[in-house]
Amino acid sequence: MPAMNTAVAPIETDAVIVGAGPVGLFQVFELGLLEIKAHIIDSLAYAGGQCIELYPDKPIYDIPAVPVCTGRELTESLLKQIEPFKATFHLGEEVSVVHKRDDGRFDVQTNRDTQLIAKTIFIAGGVGSFQPRTLKVEGLDKHRDTQLFYRVRDPALFAGKRLVIAGGGDSALDWALNFAAAGPNQAGTITLVHRRDGFRAAPANVARMHELCAAGKMRFQIGEVTAFEENNGLLSAVIVSHAGQPVATLPCDAVLAFFGLSPRLGPIANWGLNIERKQINVDTERFETNVKGIFAVGDVNTYPGKKKLILSGFHECALAAFGAATYVFPDKRIPLQYTTTSPKLHKVLGVETPVFD
Amino acid sequence: MTHVVVESCIRCKYTDCVDVCPVDCFREGPNFLTIDPDECIDCAVCIPECPVNAIMPEEDVPAHQMHFVQLNAELAKKWPSITKRKPALPDADEWKDRPDKLSELVR
Repeated sequence: MPAMNTAVAPIETDAVIVGAGPVGLFQVFELGLLEIKAHIIDSLAYAGGQCIELYPDKPIYDIPAVPVCTGRELTESLLKQIEPFKATFHLGEEVSVVHKRDDGRFDVQTNRDTQLIAKTIFIAGGVGSFQPRTLKVEGLDKHRDTQLFYRVRDPALFAGKRLVIAGGGDSALDWALNFAAAGPNQAGTITLVHRRDGFRAAPANVARMHELCAAGKMRFQIGEVTAFEENNGLLSAVIVSHAGQPVATLPCDAVLAFFGLSPRLGPIANWGLNIERKQINVDTERFETNVKGIFAVGDVNTYPGKKKLILSGFHECALAAFGAATYVFPDKRIPLQYTTTSPKLHKVLGVETPVFD
Repeated sequence: MTHVVVESCIRCKYTDCVDVCPVDCFREGPNFLTIDPDECIDCAVCIPECPVNAIMPEEDVPAHQMHFVQLNAELAKKWPSITKRKPALPDADEWKDRPDKLSELVR
């Protein structure tokens, strides 16, 4: 059992939702109606999950009563809808440890050491947490976070350094231009490495990159990083190959690779849940897993007849919330109420109860 | 789990599938495409795109084509990514209905 860091008092809450995609967000709503307070955690730095990461501008046509909306619009609408419930968001964090306590609640810990104690957990993890795709060069991984980076947390670390930036999308171009610009974080040298002279990035940035190359302010090398050299245990150069042949040896202090994000089920696999083909088995009455008090909703769950639809996820949220109420309020009978007519729900939603004469 | 490209793709390579993949998990060889099982999220969007029904979830791969599961994983490691549709191989239509094409695969 991984030890819990006890330096800071953990946050006590009714529910922790793992995943801030559309279904995780709607779970906040359904819990909120039952007056169950939630904290919501997502590995991405923003809410929306697949809708934001994979399809932000693509239209969705099968949300009931919404003839068409984009992934971004759906996310924004859900965020507005759940505002009254004031859920606490922990973004850019991945839940690493879930452990059932003797009192029946759960210890939850993230990779950034946020600690919570929750009566119930809702896994709305979709296809998993989005992790950077890595450079597949044998042995290179040991330099990760010292000289090999897949994200930039502190640009100042790279000031004056000889950088190799790999990738052909917006992130690679944005950071290459950022580090080429005059200022406190300007790099010593920058070589952009991409397998072809074609980019999936804003055309203005691609043009700017070519201008800087022409002016000798940075360099563009076609190819892929396939090997590296070390000096005294430090990464000293990377070797770039094209069409199977080495074409350049680039001395460098750091390598930044931006190949996009790819989802991984990640630590969820280690929480003692029944998992079948990367999906969590649940019942269809409460969408509860084999661990009492842990529910799974949306694309991450499976049951006979499961269809991975956002609208199915929304339905699952409603039933899972009622399921959770038996743990959060064990002595209370929870009647079904309608937002249209229930003064109690109007109160939790923060809206006026209409008066009909 | 993952989705898998099976035999009917060989010597056809229509590439309709790659345009729709949300996670860019297709890899391209000389006369065949594969799916990188580490990247595929089983969204199934590619399945109906293929004119020769060459893509299916791992558990639906027929017994006599099971070796394609391993083959996809292996070739995905060495072939480059393909994310934009391109013309099919010139004689794709001649090859699309032929069985037993594995010996035609160029690695």
